Amino acid sequence: MELKMTLDCKGLSCPMPMMKVAKAMKDLKSGEMLEMFGTDPGTKTDLPNWCTKTGNEFMEMTDLDGGVTRMVVKKS
Amino acid sequence: MSESKEKNPLVQLFDTFFGKHWPVWVGGIVLGLLNILLFAIKSPWGASGGITNWGDNFYSLFGLFNEKGVTAISENNYGMLVLLIVLGSFAGALFSKEFAIRIPPKGEMIKGFLGGSLMAIGATVGIGCSIGSFFSGVPALSGGAIVFAIGLFIGVIVSLKYLLWEMEKFPGWSSGKSYNFLAAKPNKGNWQIIIGVIVLIAILLLSYSYSKDNMVMSWFIIISGLMGLISQRSRFCIVKSFRDPFMSGESEGAVGVIAGLAVSLIGFTVIKIFGIGAIGELSLRARELTWVFPHFWAKAAAGGFIFGLGMTIAGGCAVGTLWRMGEGQIKLWFSGLAMVLISPLSNKFLVPVVDNILPQSAKFRNYLPDYLGYDGAFALVLGILLLWYWFVKWNERTGRFSAF
Repeated sequence: MELKMTLDCKGLSCPMPMMKVAKAMKDLKSGEMLEMFGTDPGTKTDLPNWCTKTGNEFMEMTDLDGGVTRMVVKKS
Repeated sequence: MSESKEKNPLVQLFDTFFGKHWPVWVGGIVLGLLNILLFAIKSPWGASGGITNWGDNFYSLFGLFNEKGVTAISENNYGMLVLLIVLGSFAGALFSKEFAIRIPPKGEMIKGFLGGSLMAIGATVGIGCSIGSFFSGVPALSGGAIVFAIGLFIGVIVSLKYLLWEMEKFPGWSSGKSYNFLAAKPNKGNWQIIIGVIVLIAILLLSYSYSKDNMVMSWFIIISGLMGLISQRSRFCIVKSFRDPFMSGESEGAVGVIAGLAVSLIGFTVIKIFGIGAIGELSLRARELTWVFPHFWAKAAAGGFIFGLGMTIAGGCAVGTLWRMGEGQIKLWFSGLAMVLISPLSNKFLVPVVDNILPQSAKFRNYLPDYLGYDGAFALVLGILLLWYWFVKWNERTGRFSAF
């Protein structure tokens, strides 16, 4: 399935990446996916935990050059 | 044979500590234990006093605010503790290859400075920060600490509502150009581990340099370095514990803080009942009143509220600011800078005004065992912790009070 939305959270620290992801997910329909680029180490733990709690599916986490992490979430 | 079984046991041990983040409750329990050790050798964990010491030393360079004389940072236990939290976190971030200079969009740096300024005002008016007045104050059986916590709660909720409004109306304030320097490349970056080893050795040498003349400082250096490292690995943060139940509904941060408070409650109560570290009747009473500040109730309420506003805007409480500085978050450098610069100004100009306005009945030491006995005070604090635990777990399941 194609990505519906891309969020740039590079440079942001807690809680802004999680706030932006949670807000953006409200606009997605079930089954649609969002990718997020971030640099805060905390988000690597916070986002999978949030997905577990909310029932959304944490699809992928990839470390890229420059300390950037790409994460993909699918709305339940 | 699996890959993990082929690894050297020491590498496995290193991976356990630095391969991934620790659960917050593990960090909370270890920090609670280390806090008991600090109290046993002198006095409990605190951050705002050390930050103010840094500010006083800065202004004294220009001949300002040093009428009473300023203790050098190198001679002030809490001034050094602040430095060592940053260095300990720096070492932790390097060992886990998480260190990078992270420069956020401009609006975030402004919010960092603003949040730090509010934290400075809250900590000076309330006589203590999220650590001294809350994480150490509550297990110290201080009635003012419980009022400070209520102030924190209200401040966090108001500030979180502001952040949600800002994200809706002015999303550009937290967007824009950002920069990231010195980050480790994926599966590379062993240079960070090498620098981490150098930082660790420097901390040990610094501790050793005090060992002949000032054993308390020597241990403060070791313990606060460990506290910085553990806080970074477990991402221990008071603001997370108060904010997340009302934001994402998650309880992990709150459970970590509750675990640390429960452990400290047992250790602090034992130290106070038995007067460990006290000599003679007078100092036994002084030992009982350690970290019971004269802020019950109005100073604690006002200070907690303002501090709660600030830590939510900054995205880090006192210790959360310090350990995030150590992992290279420039937003929190602005927050830390504001705390250093504003704390002495608030002490000089604002606190005397507040003290003049408030009657003595609104700013006294409230030591709970004086009213309830040790049994009653212990039961009251434990009951509050259990109630908080029940609330965050119920809220996580139902989402009743969470914004998302």
